[in-house]
Amino acid sequence: MSSKAKRKLTEMLFLLPTLLAFIMVIIIPFIYGIYYSFTNWQGTGAASAWVGLDNYKTIFQEPGFLHSFLVTVIFTLFNLVLVNVVAFVISLLVTSEIKGRNVYRAGFFIPNLIGGIVLGLVWQFIFSNILPQIGKSLGMNLLSKSLISNKDTVIATMVIVNTWQYAGYIMLIYVAAIQGISKSVMEAAEVDGARYWTRVAKIQIPLMANAFTISLFLTLTNSFKMYDVNVALTNGGPTTVFMMKPVQASELLALNIYQTAFKYNNMAAGQAKAVIFFVVLTIFSVIQVSYNKRKEIEA
Amino acid sequence: MKKILALCAALVMVLSATSALADLVICQNKVEITAALEAFAKVYEEKTGVPVKVITGGGSSDYNTVLKAEMQSGREPDIWVIEGPTGYELWADKIASQDGAEWTKYTSAAYIADGKVVGFPVAVEGYGMAYNKDILDKAGIDPATLTNFDAYKAAFEKLDSMKAELGLDMVVSMVAGTTTGMTWVTGLHNFNVYLTVGNERNDTTYIDQVLAGQVDAERFHQYCQYVALIFQYSDPEMLINGTQDSQLAAFANGKAAFYHQGNWMDPSLVTLNPSFEIAYAPHAFLHEDTDGILVNPPSWYVVNANGNTEEAIAFLDFLATSEEGADYMVNKAAMVPAFTNVTLAPATPLSKSVMEWNAAGKTYDWQQYKLPDGFGMGTLGQIYELLASGAIDVDTFEAMMIDAIAGIAK
Repeated sequence: MSSKAKRKLTEMLFLLPTLLAFIMVIIIPFIYGIYYSFTNWQGTGAASAWVGLDNYKTIFQEPGFLHSFLVTVIFTLFNLVLVNVVAFVISLLVTSEIKGRNVYRAGFFIPNLIGGIVLGLVWQFIFSNILPQIGKSLGMNLLSKSLISNKDTVIATMVIVNTWQYAGYIMLIYVAAIQGISKSVMEAAEVDGARYWTRVAKIQIPLMANAFTISLFLTLTNSFKMYDVNVALTNGGPTTVFMMKPVQASELLALNIYQTAFKYNNMAAGQAKAVIFFVVLTIFSVIQVSYNKRKEIEA
Repeated sequence: MKKILALCAALVMVLSATSALADLVICQNKVEITAALEAFAKVYEEKTGVPVKVITGGGSSDYNTVLKAEMQSGREPDIWVIEGPTGYELWADKIASQDGAEWTKYTSAAYIADGKVVGFPVAVEGYGMAYNKDILDKAGIDPATLTNFDAYKAAFEKLDSMKAELGLDMVVSMVAGTTTGMTWVTGLHNFNVYLTVGNERNDTTYIDQVLAGQVDAERFHQYCQYVALIFQYSDPEMLINGTQDSQLAAFANGKAAFYHQGNWMDPSLVTLNPSFEIAYAPHAFLHEDTDGILVNPPSWYVVNANGNTEEAIAFLDFLATSEEGADYMVNKAAMVPAFTNVTLAPATPLSKSVMEWNAAGKTYDWQQYKLPDGFGMGTLGQIYELLASGAIDVDTFEAMMIDAIAGIAK
C-alpha cells in the first residue's frame, strides 16, 4: 500500500466513528421520519398503511398549525431583532473602557447557562405573580393582569425571556469580533475626527460582518426551533380564536408538532409537520446566510 | 485479549446490575400518591425481596407522554395505568390476562376486555361540587337541595351577594387554564357531566352521539348554561392562572364555598388542615333533579405480557389482599379501594363523601376517556378557556363546542 493510500485510509478510519454516529442518530431517523409522514403510523408498533399526501393536505387545513406557523414567524422576527440589537449594544458596552467590564461580561452570559425549563418557570412566576402585584399597587392597568394569560402580550413575554437568555451568548460572538478589529484602524479614524457612532457604523459594523452572519443564523434557527421556554413559560396558552376556531395563542411550531404527535397521538401528522418545519427552516436559513455572505464580500 | 475479556465481564455485570435494580417497574399517573406508593414498594421489597421502581407522570405533565417514552426506552414497565378503552386499545397487544388472580375474587370493578380480566382497579374515584358546609350553613343553604340548575343559580347568587360577610374571594374555586395545564378539569371531568349525569351507569347514549359528531341539542344547551354559571361565579384570575395548588388553597382556606375537584385531592387537602366540614353535592346541570356524583374506577393497572408477568400479578395480589396493601390504599394514599375485603374507612373528607354516595348507589358513570386522544384536554379545553377568559360569550361557546364535536366524525 502506498503511503498516500494509507493516509487516506487513516483519515477515513478517524472519520468513521463520528460518521457512524451521525448516520445512526440523524440520517436514518430522518429518512424514517419522511417515510412515516406518508403513512398513518400511530407510533405503537401497530401496522401502518401508506396514505400518500393525506397528512400534508390535512395539516394545511388545520387552523392550529397555520396559527403556529404565523406566531413562529412573528416571534422569530421580533426575537431576531431584539436579541441582536441587545447583544450588540452590550458587546459595545463591555468592550469599552467601562469599569468592571469583565463582571458585566460574565453577568450577561450567565442566564445562558440556566436551562430553558427552569428559566421558563422562574419567568412564569415573575410574569404571573410578581408583576401583577407591582402593577396593582402602582395602578398600572397593563401590568395588573398576567402578561402571559393575555393573548396580545404573550409573544412579547417570550421574546423578553429569550432575549434575556440568549443575548449574552450572542454578545460573546460580537465581543470576539470587536476585539479582532485592529486598534490602529479605530485610532486612525478617531484622529481623522470621526465621532463614536460614525466609527461604530462605518468601521466596526462592516468589519465584523461575518459575526453578524453567524449571530443572525444562530438566532434565526434558535428562535424558529424554540421549544423549552415555550413549554415552561406559556405551555402554548392562552387560547385565542383564529379562522373562527380556537387555537393556542403562543404555541410555536416545535410545540405544535410535539402536541400533535404526543397529545393527540397523531404521530404521522406530527411527522408531516416536522418535515414542513425542516424545509421552511432550511429555506429561511439559506436565504439569510447567502444575503449576509454577500455583505461580507462587499466589506 | 485478557483485558478485553475482563472488560466484557465487567460490562455484563454492570448491565445485569442495572436491570436487577428493579424487577418490577410501575408507570403510574398520580403525582399525589407517588410518595405513598414508593413507601409501599419498599415494604413489598422487604417482604419478598423483589425491588419495585415507580415512575410517575401526571398532574401538569402528561402521563401518556411519559408512558410512551418509557415504552420506547427499551425497559418497558411491567405494570402501567390505563384510563379506559383508549388506553387499552393503544397497548392491547402488550397487555397480559390476569384471569384467576387472587384479587379478582374481591372486586366487581376489574377492567374486562374480550371476556378476560386485564385491569386491576386502582381505586374508586369521584367528583362533584365539593362544598364548605360551614359557609353554606351561614348562608342558609341546604346542600341537599342542590339537585338542579335553578337551585345552584340561586345558591351562587346568594353566596355572591354575601361574599364580604362570609369572607369569600369567590363562590367557586375553578380552573380552566391551558398555560397551567388544567384543561383536564374542564375538557374531561366537567364535560363528562354532560355525558352521564342522569343516566344509568353503562348507558352510552351521549358519548356515542359525541363520537358520531353530534349532541343532544336541548341537553347540551342546558349544559353550556351550567358551565357559564360556574365560570361567572369563579375568580377570573384563578380560572386562567390557577394551578392545582392555588385552586385547592382557595377552598381549603375558606376563600371559596365550592370546589370543582375530585377526592384524589384529599392527600393535599388534609395537609392544609381545613377547619370545616366538607362533602360533595351533585353536578346537577339540568332543570329537572339529578342526584348523584360521578364515580368510577378511573384507571386500572395492567400487566405487561412480555415483562415479569407473574411477579407483577403477585404484587397486585399483595396490594389487594394484604393488610399492608389496605393500609397503603386507605390510610397512606387516601384512596377509596374497589375491594370488598378492605374494611378500613377513609378518614379524609372527600373520600369519605365519595364512599357515602357510592354506598347510597347514587353515582353516575365516567365516559370522558372514550373521547379521542387529546380531544377533551386539548380541543375542548381551549374552548372552555375562551369562555373563562371572557373572549367569547356562552352562545359562541355552545356553537364552537358543537363545531368541535362535529369535527370528531370527520
